Amino acid sequence: MKRLSRILLLVFLLGAFCPSVFAAEAIKVGVILPLTGKQAKFGEIEKQSFEMAAEEINAKGGVNGKKVELLIEDTQGKPDVARSAVEKLISQDKVVIIGGGYTSSETYAAAGVALNKGFPFLVNTGSADNITEPSAFTPSGQRAEAMRKKLDGEKDPAKKAEIEKEIAKIEQAADMEVKALIDRFAIFRLNPPVSEYAGSLESFLAEVVKPKTVAILHENSLFGTSGAREFEESCKKLGIKILMRESYDAGAVDFKPLLAKVKQADPDLVYMISYLLDASLLMRHSMELKMNPKLFAGAAAGFTLPEFPQNAGKASEKIISADLWHQSLPFPGAQEYYDKFRKKYNKDTEYHGAEAYAAMYVIADVLKRAKSMSPKDIKDALSKTDMMTVFGPVKFISYDKKVNQNKLDTYVVQWINGKLEIVWPKKSAKAKYIYPVDWIKERQ
Amino acid sequence: MVKKAVPFIALAALLVFPLVVKSDYYQHLMILVLMWVVIGSAWNLIAGYTGQVSFGDAAFFGTGAYTAGLLVTKLGWSAWWGLFFGGITAVLIAMPFGWICFRLRGAYFALATLALNEIMRHIATIWEKLTYGMLGILIVQTFASKLPYYYISLALAVISLITVRLVMRSKYGYYFLSIREDQDAAESMGINTHHYKMISLVIAAALTGVAGALYMNYMGFIDPHVVFSLHDISIMAILVGIVGGVGTQYGPAVGAFIMVAVQELFRTGGYGLISKLAKASGSETIISLSEFITKAHVMGFGILVVVAILFLPNGVVGDWNKITRLVLQKKIKGG
Amino acid sequence: MDLFLQALVSGLLRGGLYALVGIGMTLIMGVMKIINLAHGQLMMVSMYITFVCFTSLGIDPYVSLLICMPVLFLIGVIIQKYLLNPLIRVETILPENQVLMTVGIGMVLTETMRFIFTSDYKSVKTSYSNATFFLGNISFSVPLVIDLGFVTLLTWVLFWFLNKTDTGKSIRATAQDKDAAILMGVNSEKITYITFGIGSALVAAAGALLIPIYYLFPDIGGEFTRRAFVICILGGLGSTVGAIFGGITLGLAEAFGATYVAMEFEDVIGLVIFILVLLFLPGGFRRLIKI
Repeated sequence: MKRLSRILLLVFLLGAFCPSVFAAEAIKVGVILPLTGKQAKFGEIEKQSFEMAAEEINAKGGVNGKKVELLIEDTQGKPDVARSAVEKLISQDKVVIIGGGYTSSETYAAAGVALNKGFPFLVNTGSADNITEPSAFTPSGQRAEAMRKKLDGEKDPAKKAEIEKEIAKIEQAADMEVKALIDRFAIFRLNPPVSEYAGSLESFLAEVVKPKTVAILHENSLFGTSGAREFEESCKKLGIKILMRESYDAGAVDFKPLLAKVKQADPDLVYMISYLLDASLLMRHSMELKMNPKLFAGAAAGFTLPEFPQNAGKASEKIISADLWHQSLPFPGAQEYYDKFRKKYNKDTEYHGAEAYAAMYVIADVLKRAKSMSPKDIKDALSKTDMMTVFGPVKFISYDKKVNQNKLDTYVVQWINGKLEIVWPKKSAKAKYIYPVDWIKERQ
Repeated sequence: MVKKAVPFIALAALLVFPLVVKSDYYQHLMILVLMWVVIGSAWNLIAGYTGQVSFGDAAFFGTGAYTAGLLVTKLGWSAWWGLFFGGITAVLIAMPFGWICFRLRGAYFALATLALNEIMRHIATIWEKLTYGMLGILIVQTFASKLPYYYISLALAVISLITVRLVMRSKYGYYFLSIREDQDAAESMGINTHHYKMISLVIAAALTGVAGALYMNYMGFIDPHVVFSLHDISIMAILVGIVGGVGTQYGPAVGAFIMVAVQELFRTGGYGLISKLAKASGSETIISLSEFITKAHVMGFGILVVVAILFLPNGVVGDWNKITRLVLQKKIKGG
Repeated sequence: MDLFLQALVSGLLRGGLYALVGIGMTLIMGVMKIINLAHGQLMMVSMYITFVCFTSLGIDPYVSLLICMPVLFLIGVIIQKYLLNPLIRVETILPENQVLMTVGIGMVLTETMRFIFTSDYKSVKTSYSNATFFLGNISFSVPLVIDLGFVTLLTWVLFWFLNKTDTGKSIRATAQDKDAAILMGVNSEKITYITFGIGSALVAAAGALLIPIYYLFPDIGGEFTRRAFVICILGGLGSTVGAIFGGITLGLAEAFGATYVAMEFEDVIGLVIFILVLLFLPGGFRRLIKI
């Protein structure tokens, strides 16, 4: 018993006292990504993009004459493992900045550590809105948020006013707490938050499609749920009537009963938020049921993945989706990145890869500008970032409750003859959108 | 004599551990170990000692975690109250479940616990008004330093070990064991097996719920898929129990240490040692081999589970004599 | 009315596939008294075999049944013989070691596939993948209808095997009373690995039948393991007829749940039925039909 625990303790502690062989010249950058588990597909694309970018940076001489050493740790998509990874990267490997952050739960876990230590953390995929809202990390801020949710259910105006008063009071306290926190708040985000994913789709709907009714289907995840809620709000703004909002668990086998119900409700627009290949099954089953709404619109990765047309076949044709990035966008290096990735890894990449690739370049730029490698100096350098990447311009600004948030345009894409094309907004469009579509004819 | 002193030496070592090892990383891992000691010894009580194998510990764990989280968001209390109320709500879930399902035996009971796990996860996902669904609950961690969390976890781990020890020393312990060995015989002796199974489950659920509340406090964020995870909580609890040693006093403690340490060992490729050595060797083949090993870490962990169960079916503590024999023999041969 | 019929048809069709998944699990559970938590992972392996057959050899998924069923039978036999049976022989306090072993096996299978095929999504796109025909306003998916034919055929063969052959009879005897079967001269060890082999082959068939209308990645197994155990409980452990009922009930419950309640309740409805069965019908549907 004793001996065994001793041996184990030895192994356990070996890493702690093991002198780093390669500590001398390289600047270490830590990245956390899910490389096993359900999200591994996207983790893999991001890992390869990070590595590709780092190789290029090092080939061009690195950062201020020093090489960048990437330490990519697997989170398995679990928050406790993500936290282990971040703690290890910071206190053992002595990285100077953390990147990555994929699922919201692991991003929260990592954000907690980064916040405690005031450590710079550049999120490139985690999309939960409040990751860049300091008030969400203060007790009063959370209290106000919970009160506001209560407010939604309240009908009585007198009580409502009372609650609102209380919220105002709590928010004052929250402001004080945020002020105390803000020096340590070194969490930056490259990608837009989930509430802004469908921004340009909304304008497309308002100007082109003008639907009267909508059915919203979304996967049951933070991304799906909050995306659907945001879309509900925009529908109210646009005067679109919501006939139904339904969620499902990712990985469902058969969507026909759900879609049959949608068919009966007969909405103008079917809006779906689906991260995985559920997107493909939804489209295939809608084809099998001969659904014919005005428009099928998707959000998120499921509808823009290269695997989507492979699996859905002709059911994928003319589907419209909100998207964050496309290689044909006029950002310097976007097309080159896409081609290089294809050549190197012999597979397609999409917006997750571009996010990771851009994040690596932002990190390199920040390290170049930082006065020293202390967290504080890196944080200062991060907040002064103003550069162009393959993912678009990067500049961290504050608005609403958010700080350190990069604001980006989003796009509407459409599958036209098996190719994904940007069709909206007009200034970036590479192809003319095809609308209206007779889905039954289209899919024969 | 020496054997009796081991727990006290271990406790003393654990008490000074964070003062000696200042690294946040190792302190974090030890906090996880101590949390798993609580869950593992709770599982050991109901499964290892009473013979009612639970595949649904996450139901109690998640309930505890959600209680702590909801106390903050709904009532504005401190999440630390969850350590108390989390145990109580877990018991409230366990009581009706046990009352209904203790009629079932063996694989049936195991399946029922599995189902409880799944049902709780679905409820937490669907009942958005109460639990915020998949948006999860984010709370502010009370302390920036790891030390308070460490000592609180240590206290809970010690409390759960003592609780199990005291229970097993009392007459309840004998009833539990008799139920495990032969339920029919126990019943014919006049033992109200249903009643004692309930007692065992209630204690186990309370401890697991407390561990859940601890998780909420420490991690600061939960969502249904994290705390009601079948694979990451329920099955991990069984692994901790079985690897350490089913039905042994300190088995779960050893199991928790091994599981967390080994999982992390695999994940980081021997705490980064493998890749460092490979790079030092400078050989291309060794570097790619080391990348291969690091990439396949979950596979390696799975293989380890298979091998451990195959060769140490009674766990490290249960098969301790076997291990010492093996080690000693090798030494004799080597010498 | 159309809505109702569509739900009925969808439920029955997918229920057929679920039945095939469930029968495999229930056989294993009946004979070995363990929950096979690697069941879905075995299905995933079979799907990858079908995928490879289709993409590199051009073999139709239905033809590849002839390949993946024997392969999975073999894998099942090896797992039982070299990994699970050794555990029966050693003295342990709990029999659940075997269940945990299946968890470990499931992890290894998943990661092995991730290693070979990466985490990318794969699909098998046949000419009939999206084929449908309509009766009135009700859409029938052609592959699912063919699948139902295969399911019927396979279960019929299984029943013939269990009822008419010596080995089959021994399996049933072992499931009913292991000790008595051993006393009667049944080689119980051989029976266990044949059973595990058959169980794996059946779930392999389900995988091969499902892949043309689904997609594939390494972590897909867990979902199906979960469904398999619900089916088993619904049907009553070890009852093959029960598993068919269980599979179809689950399929119908999911379809009607999604239609009339909400799709997010899909899984919950299966589990609620499961609890109700536990409460009022502890032996599962087997109690009702006495098989």
